[in-house]
Amino acid sequence: MIQHLTAIWKFRHFLYALVRLDLRLRYRRSILGVGWSLLNPIAMTLVFAVVFSSLLGGGDVPRYVSHLLIGMAVWGFLRESAVSGCRALIANESYIRQSPLPYNLYTLRTVCGQAIHSMIALVVAVLGMVIVTAATSQPTAQTMLNPLALLWIVPGLILSFIAAWAVATTFAFINVYFQDTQHLLEVAAQVVFFMTPIIYFPSNLESKGYWLLLTMNPVNLFLDLIRTPLMNGQPPSEQILLAGAALTTVLVRLAAGTTAWLQKRVVFHL
Amino acid sequence: MAKIELDDVHLTFKVHQQKRVSFKEYIVRGLFRRGASAVAVHALAGLNLDVRDGDRLGIIGHNGAGKSTLLKLIAGIYPPTGGKRDVLGSICSLFDISLGFEPEASGWDNITYRAYLQGESPASLKGKIDAIAEFTELGDFLDLPVRHYSAGMLMRLAFSIATAIEPEILLVDEVLAVGDLAFQKKAQTRMKELMSTARIMVLVAHDLGTIRAMCNRAVWLEHGVAKMAGPTEKVVEAYIASVTGKPARAAA
Repeated sequence: MIQHLTAIWKFRHFLYALVRLDLRLRYRRSILGVGWSLLNPIAMTLVFAVVFSSLLGGGDVPRYVSHLLIGMAVWGFLRESAVSGCRALIANESYIRQSPLPYNLYTLRTVCGQAIHSMIALVVAVLGMVIVTAATSQPTAQTMLNPLALLWIVPGLILSFIAAWAVATTFAFINVYFQDTQHLLEVAAQVVFFMTPIIYFPSNLESKGYWLLLTMNPVNLFLDLIRTPLMNGQPPSEQILLAGAALTTVLVRLAAGTTAWLQKRVVFHL
Repeated sequence: MAKIELDDVHLTFKVHQQKRVSFKEYIVRGLFRRGASAVAVHALAGLNLDVRDGDRLGIIGHNGAGKSTLLKLIAGIYPPTGGKRDVLGSICSLFDISLGFEPEASGWDNITYRAYLQGESPASLKGKIDAIAEFTELGDFLDLPVRHYSAGMLMRLAFSIATAIEPEILLVDEVLAVGDLAFQKKAQTRMKELMSTARIMVLVAHDLGTIRAMCNRAVWLEHGVAKMAGPTEKVVEAYIASVTGKPARAAA
């Protein structure tokens, strides 16, 4: 695995150039540019805020909107990395046939692009949160964004990036053999979306006794690492941090294992 | 020091009837116990090759003999299913000319992508990019997205970038035939220049004139087996004799 990482470092210019190309192509034909692709999460948030804030949000609109925006940004990153990432090897077939680069460079290309896009969404979410909190209520030490929180989310961001890359790599290999993996992932993502406290607060599940659903949900783990410091102004608990690190390690092991098993064979299936 | 060493190399493809299966089909097939209809293609069998600094190897043979497969194996794209492959030196490969281009990006951008793909850095590329653009003779076409290029233009672009990088091992797969006469002459000159600096070249071509002009050694592949290897003239003559059916000259 170290070999792969050094090879990727060696070809980092190639990677940067392709990620930049992807971003340029994505935002190329739109007038609003970056804003256009943020339209989806922002529109979704507005709809949910208007329709569901009393039902699911407990009536506290600013808090619900912040919760929603941050959740959508993180969820969007994880979902898109998995779903677009699994097409990475097939989409980059022409490079694979020309040059013996490590295959996880191609999944990294997708994940980097998604990460940049989601970081923009997250920044917008945080800004929105600050503005809304300052404008609507008396900002107390409790509700204002704690600037230290920006530091505390860093481990969460790093862990979710590595985990997303690992998941994308694993599914990219599987997708070469079973082409409907992408569709199955999309269906699974829909299911997981509603099982994860993105459009509702975790307390909704806890109060109804579905606490197990919360703890067993891996997406919720990464969501907690990023959302809790931003919303509550407190560092993530050690327990959750360790759990996140453990989960990421497991995913990385899985990806490394899949790569080692399939890398010599996948080229014959492309 | 560059070298290519292939020691009893085998490469077998398992070609499935359907290239990509879905989970559903896989399960259904399993339920009905249909045997997986796969054909094993023994693309390369028992190949031994020893190429050193200064060698220019030509690979000839009939269509489907395994020439391109051999080239891809040397490049490291297909791992051998048997035997050992030992290649030292930076490799640059010119395979299917339409591969490895980003169709929506301009000619200039594609120069940078391909250069980075070959391991260059922005600093080292800066000095070379104008020379590369000049060699292509594409002029203003470089500003257009490459999906508008003809096959010959793509080949000029690919060849210019590949040879500007000064690889230690250059692998060329029948691409030069697409260029116009002027470019073919230019390409031959460039390759001769390369041969004085860089080390090894492996060339697959059907044009035996090119093989004779550019290579000092040749390998004749037939159905994945190296039928003959040695100095270019001998191998080419034997190949021609077998194809045209004329009696071979007094064999050595």
